[in-house]
Amino acid sequence: MNSEAEPLLRLHPAAMVIGALGTIRRSISATVIPGLVFLFSQGLSPWTIALVLAGLAVLAALAAVWGFLSWRATSYGVVGGSFRLRQGVFQKSERTIPLEHVQSVDTVQGIVQRAFGVYEVRVETAGGGTSEPDASLPALGRGATEDLRRGIEGARREPVGAERESGPEVLRRLSTRDLLVAGATSGQIGVALSLLAVGSQVFDEFFSEAFFRNLVDSLAPNALVLALILIPAVALVAWLLAIAGTVLAHFGFTLSREGDFLYIKRGLLERREATIPLRRIQAVRISEGFLRQPFGLASLRVESAGYGEDAGVSAVMFPLLPFDEVQALLREAAPEFAVSPALRELPRRALRRYVFRALIPALVLAAAGALVSFLVFEASFGLLAIGLLPPFALYGWLRFRDAGWALADDRLVVRSRSLARVTVVAPRRRLQSRSVLQSPFQRRLRLATFGTEVASGGGGSALEVTDLGFDDARYLAVALSARADGRREREGALP
Amino acid sequence: MKDEPSERLDPRAKVVWRVSGALNMLPLLAGAGFASYVLLRWVEVSVFIGVLPLLGVLAMAVFSVIVVPGLRWRRWRYEIRPDEVDLQRGVWWVSRTLVPLARIQHVDTRQGPLQRRYGLSTVVFHTAAGANQIPELATPIAAEARDRIAALTREQDEL
Repeated sequence: MNSEAEPLLRLHPAAMVIGALGTIRRSISATVIPGLVFLFSQGLSPWTIALVLAGLAVLAALAAVWGFLSWRATSYGVVGGSFRLRQGVFQKSERTIPLEHVQSVDTVQGIVQRAFGVYEVRVETAGGGTSEPDASLPALGRGATEDLRRGIEGARREPVGAERESGPEVLRRLSTRDLLVAGATSGQIGVALSLLAVGSQVFDEFFSEAFFRNLVDSLAPNALVLALILIPAVALVAWLLAIAGTVLAHFGFTLSREGDFLYIKRGLLERREATIPLRRIQAVRISEGFLRQPFGLASLRVESAGYGEDAGVSAVMFPLLPFDEVQALLREAAPEFAVSPALRELPRRALRRYVFRALIPALVLAAAGALVSFLVFEASFGLLAIGLLPPFALYGWLRFRDAGWALADDRLVVRSRSLARVTVVAPRRRLQSRSVLQSPFQRRLRLATFGTEVASGGGGSALEVTDLGFDDARYLAVALSARADGRREREGALP
Repeated sequence: MKDEPSERLDPRAKVVWRVSGALNMLPLLAGAGFASYVLLRWVEVSVFIGVLPLLGVLAMAVFSVIVVPGLRWRRWRYEIRPDEVDLQRGVWWVSRTLVPLARIQHVDTRQGPLQRRYGLSTVVFHTAAGANQIPELATPIAAEARDRIAALTREQDEL
């Protein structure tokens, strides 16, 4: 069938165990509910327990056999300019991915993999979605992983002998202190709160309501006191959860670079290693979170495009660093994106549009509150919602003040605020289409919204300047045209 | 940036938009009719209040079927220049989009059943960040536009 000189390689034997565990996990999640029902419906007689245990033993044995068979059936290798993966016990499949279509070779080390000292290797192409890797090898040893990486990436790189030997140069490591600060200021309390909500439902199942009522009655007879205790407690737990989530994901975050590739290592329980080819980076996002900006801290993301039509990822490039050091890091990691020109502000007349837009939700709330309190409660406390207006107006003013744009050295820089203040840098040659949008209200004030986008995961990622002067918007639309791009490329082609 | 792109859509676009607009309004009309019926029959409000939902939706339908397609057609303009495609559209919110040919990955033409009836097609061109379209061109003109964009895109690639 295949009689080429380079033979395909087997996975690390740990793949058998990992495959078997996967099978067991899948079948258990499918049978756990009927199994429990069976167990309890029969009454917990020794006979049924024995039956269930026997079933589990059979399942484990089958899974082990299946793990072995699929290990034996799986082989991979780099053959003749493409990556090959052969799989399947009964239904054989062979996948061939041309090396130039490989977007990156990422590794993930879950808990089971760590126990065996092996890596799950994902060969991501750009054709597929971002969630499912195009080829996944569940277990490779350290050496095999490095060999495969070199086999795939080496073919794409210029062979620069000496540099290759030195290995990736570490640009920045996240210290434990910064990791904790990143968690504490991540602003993911909302996510954690929803997790808590789910958790509390599970919790409810285990403790009776009466137990709770006793607890509450003895602790806090007064509803107000209860709220005063409960709300900060829940917020604190949510905050700790948010910190824990960040620690799990970003522990030991290391950004390094070798040649035209960035490498990112991170993770506490599950170690991940991702590769980002520099030439696929479309834009860099510097985000100063609401809680981080007062401390002069920021995080970095990259928007990276895949090969061909879609795919690509938006990935964390560095989770937390002082804003002052962003440019220095970018100069080393992705020099194309290291610019921080003085930004052009929006015209004064845009301020009232920003304030008005920010006020709309507050106005709606105030109106609804007033209406309900007058009609239903026949009281005027609904007017208290008017108190919402000043903070919302302030928010609108902040958004106005922080919005800005600049065009420097063929790179577009756009800054805006939603809650976090975000600065996006994109080279002109990465911009896809540009548009100038004008609403009837903007037309009266000679304002417009300028928008452009870069390729990224899920279709595209937008850069927008809302309410800049109409003439500036038109200037941007023209100045960012691809015409100058062609000229520059031709100049670049000269020796 | 020029003041306006030079080309217009096919005038039959207005007919297609009217028909499709009317079809889209049907479920809404049915809903409003039902609401009015419920109000009159079961809630027993006065006739003047009861017919309000139906009248409201009817007014919306008349507006969107008779007035909007004309305005929309008058605004819609496009131009395929050697380096980019220039689109202008929108009834109240007017947008002007410039798509560099160098970024276009592929073009195709599409035709829905209603469009086929009137001999119209839509040109869709894709960039890495999404699709743009020029709707409702006479089918031969759409085919020509598609081929022109494809040819120009190739030319840009060779530069």
